[in-house]
Amino acid sequence: MKMSERRILLVEDNPADAWLIKEALRRRSLTCHLDHYLTAEDAIRAVALEGIDGTSVPDLILLDYNLPGGHGVDILAAATKNSNLHSVPKAVVSSSLMPDEVSHARSLGASCFIHKPANLNEFFEEIGSKIAELLEGRRVP
Amino acid sequence: MPEMDGFETAQMIRNRGRSSRTPILFLTAYRSDEQLFRGYDLGAVDFLFKPIVPEVLQSKVAVFVELSRNEQLLLRQAEELTRTERKFRAVLEAAPDAMVITKQSGIIELANSRADALFGHSRESLIGLNIRTLIPAWEQAHPEQKAAMRSPWSEARLNAVRRDGAAFPADVTTSSFVTPEGPRYTTAIRDATDQVVAEERIQKINVELEKRVQERTAALTYSNDALRQFAWAASHDLQEPIRTVLNYSEWLSEATRGRLATEESEMLDIIRQHGDRLHRLLIALREYIRVSESGGRQEWKSVNSNAALQTAISNLENVIVESGTSVQCGELPTIHSVEILLVQLFQNLISNGIKYRSAEPPVIQVSAVPSGNGWTFSVTDNGAGIDPKYFNYIFGVFRRLQAGENSGAGMGLAICKAAVERLGGKIWVDSAPERGSAFHFYLPEGSRYEDERAPDPAG
Repeated sequence: MKMSERRILLVEDNPADAWLIKEALRRRSLTCHLDHYLTAEDAIRAVALEGIDGTSVPDLILLDYNLPGGHGVDILAAATKNSNLHSVPKAVVSSSLMPDEVSHARSLGASCFIHKPANLNEFFEEIGSKIAELLEGRRVP
Repeated sequence: MPEMDGFETAQMIRNRGRSSRTPILFLTAYRSDEQLFRGYDLGAVDFLFKPIVPEVLQSKVAVFVELSRNEQLLLRQAEELTRTERKFRAVLEAAPDAMVITKQSGIIELANSRADALFGHSRESLIGLNIRTLIPAWEQAHPEQKAAMRSPWSEARLNAVRRDGAAFPADVTTSSFVTPEGPRYTTAIRDATDQVVAEERIQKINVELEKRVQERTAALTYSNDALRQFAWAASHDLQEPIRTVLNYSEWLSEATRGRLATEESEMLDIIRQHGDRLHRLLIALREYIRVSESGGRQEWKSVNSNAALQTAISNLENVIVESGTSVQCGELPTIHSVEILLVQLFQNLISNGIKYRSAEPPVIQVSAVPSGNGWTFSVTDNGAGIDPKYFNYIFGVFRRLQAGENSGAGMGLAICKAAVERLGGKIWVDSAPERGSAFHFYLPEGSRYEDERAPDPAG
């Protein structure tokens, strides 16, 4: 893994959406290494271990909030416990979010909320631009 | 006296019923004791010996007439008293309850036969007995104990005791009256055993009924909540898969552009169109649930309805411009309401007027008049109009009068109805085909959600 290549930790239970997100990155010409976790259990374990042995932490955590069993919250909570991840931006993606879900996620450290539009080009635009923005902000401390 | 002597006459006066008590004064010249005794035997009150002194005669007659009258009066009064007492006893006997009259000490002076029967005492043993033997807490039924009731009689449910010691509940009514011999109490006692049983049964039935009502209410509330949650979750969770279907059908049509046969590409379009329609239906359903669910929890405040209308117009700007719609309005009031619901109402009704327009460019007029305890707003259009038989139908969920891709989800007016109901008002329509429609909604001045209004500092 080259130092210049950014790494995104993606938690997304819907493979179809993961594919769309990859395509959005491709269309933006954002070359990223994507660590994709399909289940909350795997994601929680991974989040807890990030940066523990001195290795690099991801540049962005991208999380589908509407995971089965409501485990999006648990992943954010696990990320909060790992102090190595405190400066890593955490973005929540979702088809729809309730206002109280937004404020709860915000209280657990989520800093960005990305909507998944039903229109394809809007989807690519929304996901692509928000991720680019977050990675950009990360590169210039 | 010539043909008949005085004694015979006196005898006849005595024998006549009407005059049997008339005092007889003998006037006589004889003074023999024998005659005097005979006269007294025949009812003579006095003798006057001749020669008669008129003044003496007059005085005696006056005295005896007076005496006789007084005696008659006393006699009548005694008879009257007897009759009254008989009446009184008859009333006492006819009473449906056991009745006793007592002195203040509680000693029974008079009782009716129901009292004998109820308590198992003989009349003789009842008279002279203290009523506390029958009703130990007798005083609790005294009117003085219930002075607050300001009633000449008072009632209490007390324990009563039969001669054999068996206790039973009794309704005891007491009233007092004053006699020269001191105060007396009339106490009526009714066996309340059956009543107590009936009351306990009613009590039990009521408790049971209350329990059932609570159970039903809980079950209904539960199923209502479950339905709401279901509707919400369905509209929410179905969005995700339909969005994926839409994204991928579009991606597929983009990726295969120019490579599909016309029919194949039409099939793909059909998938997209219907997926899109399903998506819009779900969004409208969510909106409906949101309005009907949360309207009451929204913030009630002073809302300038002109500003709410302007917000609605700017939200619809694209549609208004594209359709060449003219929205006209007069001066609208400032009301106590929920702003987002009012905006939603204007927006949906204007959008409705544009969607169902006639061949003419849409002209929509918004006005308000004071009405009842609030305002009636009207949104009038020059559109296609609605057949009166659909007046109720159109306010239902997923109701459309036109099919086709251009038509909406059929939720616009249902959302209006939910919003108006949340605001405590009602909505209705006046229309005829080809004559345009006028939607009216009445909003009371925040009366329904009084408790949710901010307290008025002025009082």
